[in-house]
Amino acid sequence: MTATEDRELRRTLHSTLGAVPPPPVPIEAIIRRGKGIRLRRAGAAVGILALAAIAVVALAPPGSRQPAVPATAPAAPASPDGVFAQGRAGGHAWRLAVQDIADPGYPCQPAVVLNGTDADPVYPAPGNIASVALGPGVGFGFVQLPATASRAVVNGQASVPAVTVTACGLPYRVAGFAYSLARTARVTVPNAPAGWPSVLPVPPVSIEPPSSASTPENAGLWINSYLTGTAPGVLDAGLVFGPDWSIQIQFGTGGDCYALSAQGSGSNAQMGYCGPVSTPDGPETIMALPLGIPSNHSTGVTGYAVQVSPATSQLKATLSNGSTELAAFCMVDGRRYAAFVVRDPLRLSRLTWLDARGRVIASTTALPRFGYVQFQP
Amino acid sequence: MTEPRDELAAVPDVIDADGREDFSAFAAARWPGLVRLAFGLTGDRGLAEDIAQIALARAYVAWRRVSRANDPDAYLRRILINASNRRFRRRRVTEQPGDPPDTPVDGPADLVGERAALLTALHQLPPRQRAVIVLRYWQDLTDAQIAATLGCSPGTVRSQLSRALAKLRESPVLGEGEDR
Repeated sequence: MTATEDRELRRTLHSTLGAVPPPPVPIEAIIRRGKGIRLRRAGAAVGILALAAIAVVALAPPGSRQPAVPATAPAAPASPDGVFAQGRAGGHAWRLAVQDIADPGYPCQPAVVLNGTDADPVYPAPGNIASVALGPGVGFGFVQLPATASRAVVNGQASVPAVTVTACGLPYRVAGFAYSLARTARVTVPNAPAGWPSVLPVPPVSIEPPSSASTPENAGLWINSYLTGTAPGVLDAGLVFGPDWSIQIQFGTGGDCYALSAQGSGSNAQMGYCGPVSTPDGPETIMALPLGIPSNHSTGVTGYAVQVSPATSQLKATLSNGSTELAAFCMVDGRRYAAFVVRDPLRLSRLTWLDARGRVIASTTALPRFGYVQFQP
Repeated sequence: MTEPRDELAAVPDVIDADGREDFSAFAAARWPGLVRLAFGLTGDRGLAEDIAQIALARAYVAWRRVSRANDPDAYLRRILINASNRRFRRRRVTEQPGDPPDTPVDGPADLVGERAALLTALHQLPPRQRAVIVLRYWQDLTDAQIAATLGCSPGTVRSQLSRALAKLRESPVLGEGEDR
């Protein structure tokens, strides 16, 4: 690089970055985040309480157990509502259950749900272990066990009983637990069949509270150890500035994975991100995928996909120029999704949910620019 | 989604009231530079603010050490680069060249076009090469300072810089800018 090029690059970079107008320093949010980091590093007081409670349950004589203390208390086997573990951790009640999350009229789709929301579709896969967190400190997990196993042991301390739950006509032998996010958790399974791993590491989940609507969330996303996904479904497809584009969805080890693809003249581009699977009555995932258009570097599109409830008949997108468009609907694995794209320089400014009579169910302007947010219509 | 945010309120401050005042002043002074540095690394204003927040939050946790460091800015830069790298790893994103960076500001059309072209070209570099370019030409750091920030040798910095500059020189995006 010549001295002239060197000077030119420095000048342009200073001009470019120096012109970025930063917002006021969010000092309270920073300190709050710092406390969250400290909480995790310090062993997460709430997580420690949860672990201590687990240890108390595991070590105390049966007669001395206090029902309000344990972080993990198994539900009765074959609970009619599919609950297989519940308790209190970090001051909050939690409950894990296997239930059907498909929209009414569609084939049954079993999933583990945490407190009735944030689903993790399950398949008969003994050995699969999954985890999720809703905030700093405490994680929640379950392991699918073989018929021979009567319990799982978390971190060598907490003994969690196996519960057989029948969902969608199939039995699932599962053990659920809460654990501290302060360190890597491990599960062992006594009396496991030959060939079963001696230790099952709980998939790591990391939680940092989002700072704004434009910051990707990561709460509520189940991470599985087994890939038991389904074939991708195409949510929407069309043409923007020439290239073909499509939004696809596929359930993977980390929730619903969306991908916006564009194909230009001789080049391809793709943007993907994974988000939580919603239950019919739970918060809905709103996913944003920004993408440059091949062969046209000065512009791009943002693909949006929303998992909507059965009550939603239309999803209306209002753009920054005031125009509106209705999202295309698509069913994948018994779940309803809406998708559309917004071309630069337009931005999505509002989403409105409408019922079958065209009445407004809900509306929000808290929309992501990248990644997902969850919204309860 | 219900986060147990109330539990954070119960977490005692890492630093006392005086320290908190010092940290607030430190954060306010560094915030614009951190956001701009993170924007150069990511091309996304929202993500840049998020990463700058993470860097300052980590500095808050380690405030006693940061405030006594000979060069707290170097410490902060390292935290920010690490936060940026972690953020990219955790996102599990399939990111391809061509993802549109934010156009930073308004201004004369040719200037905005020049800035957009540079950001697009930067965004097409691998993260480490992008970091080397931004640290050298925006932060004006020496090879040794960049090496300390990135946790590599000065030789690696020089080779990464050389490769990055070669790619920028051949970038069709910047070429288009010259043709305008």
